[in-house]
Amino acid sequence: MNNDDPRKAVLVVILVALVCSFLVSASIVLLAPIKQENEMLVRGQNILSQTGWVEQTNPPDREAMLLMLEKLDSRLLDINESVFSDAFSIEEFNERRAASNPQTSHTISSEFDTAGLGRRSRYVVVHLIWSNEKQLQRIILPVYGAGMWSTLYGYIALDATDFNTVASALFYEQAETPGLGDKIEDSGWLAQWQGRKIYNTSGRVSFRVAEGRVEPGTTAAVHQVDGLTGATVTASAVTNLVQYWFGKDGYLPFLQSLNKTKLKPAGGLSESSESVISPGIVVSTGSVVSKGSVVSPGTVNSPASLNINKEDPQ
Amino acid sequence: MSASDTLTRPLLRENPVTFHVLGICSALAITNSLNSALIMSLALTCVLVLSNASISLIRKHLPGSVRIIIQITVIASAVTIVDELLSAFLPDVARTLSVYISLIVTNCIVLGRAEACAMSQPVRKAVLDAVGNGLGFSLVLISVAVIRELFGSGSLLGYQILELVSNGGWYQPNEMMLLPPSAFFIVAGLVWLNRTWYKEQVEKPDFKPASVEVDEIYSS
Repeated sequence: MNNDDPRKAVLVVILVALVCSFLVSASIVLLAPIKQENEMLVRGQNILSQTGWVEQTNPPDREAMLLMLEKLDSRLLDINESVFSDAFSIEEFNERRAASNPQTSHTISSEFDTAGLGRRSRYVVVHLIWSNEKQLQRIILPVYGAGMWSTLYGYIALDATDFNTVASALFYEQAETPGLGDKIEDSGWLAQWQGRKIYNTSGRVSFRVAEGRVEPGTTAAVHQVDGLTGATVTASAVTNLVQYWFGKDGYLPFLQSLNKTKLKPAGGLSESSESVISPGIVVSTGSVVSKGSVVSPGTVNSPASLNINKEDPQ
Repeated sequence: MSASDTLTRPLLRENPVTFHVLGICSALAITNSLNSALIMSLALTCVLVLSNASISLIRKHLPGSVRIIIQITVIASAVTIVDELLSAFLPDVARTLSVYISLIVTNCIVLGRAEACAMSQPVRKAVLDAVGNGLGFSLVLISVAVIRELFGSGSLLGYQILELVSNGGWYQPNEMMLLPPSAFFIVAGLVWLNRTWYKEQVEKPDFKPASVEVDEIYSS
């Protein structure tokens, strides 16, 4: 056929399209397992960096990481009811998908919505870190909120002695201005979060990213981390998302209930009615934390900082 | 043109970035660290070789009316495959390069070489041309990235070379180097160097400003 023949043009286009789409599909299908594995490892690494088990300078290899991930006590938290739920298996639960499904999400009324989310998932996966003596050490809570260009995703781990002191924090997904706003991923900046307190003595969410440097010695210093030069919008987005997630519509009721009830470690460490679904993933039905449950005295410290029942945090 | 000429001419004399001024977008966007510049260079060279080879292979059967569509389809497929390979085997780097790998599709160097070379040359020559242009692009990208990373963060490939003031050293990093405009200045400097070396590349001015006598202005 002549190259000027329109039939040849159509034929060549179809053939090229077929060959190209075959090659592209083949590469995607063949590489999918490797990519999934990578994603899993990155997710695991992010969570493990918040557990206090690993040093940042010395990340564990793949095997060690998988072992640690299995030891992790991960639970599905129903934020609205402040109870652990077994509505979904943790392995299958996808928070972002849940946030867009009306049945598993919660509309945030505009008075609370400082993080600019509109709606959030009703359930989140939280991770509990236990000491060898079965004492709760820290709790890792997922947070996210609207930044300047993107949604910022992160974890904030709270110290279990008061559920107020930040044990560590991480932002693992963002697309803020390179070189300015993306400093929220900087490990040096994130290290400042350690020891900062979310709530002030009257129970208000007082944590904020300062404008400029934190002035040491002031009363506010314990609630602040250094500002981000040239990234005011990203910095205030971080302040706002902490404001939301630790406020009344976020984790506050759950954290208050934690102060009243003793949690039990899962995974065979206690004898309560927990059912092991898959290795490392334990859905607890026995250690439900709810507002009316029995107070075990002296188990969890509840300093003044969280006696917030009468105060409006906002 | 001999085979070695096809390979070496695009390195300096006919460099795609400093002579043709193509592919500026990625030269600006990802050159703030040497690591991403190296991966970008590798990715672009692979895409160039793949697209030039396959287009040259089918060049005799490409009707002129649909040739651009077919070239873009071939280039986009090559880019997708390279992108998939990178995110499978070098996930960390792929994450920092994010969208810029997929944007190789719109990199004018690739389409430019397909049109200018692969459509008329046999496969061997088209591949040599692709390697040459890929290396020429890499040369510019790596030079810009070395300057930007060294003066912007005092490091190369992540290894600290100039001790920063913030870590108790002496070097105050030039933060402009981390922002895209600095790449503009560096690329412009390279274009200028190239034209100073190869005088024949300097274009004649399109027009001459009319000279005005000072007397004429005052008399009117």
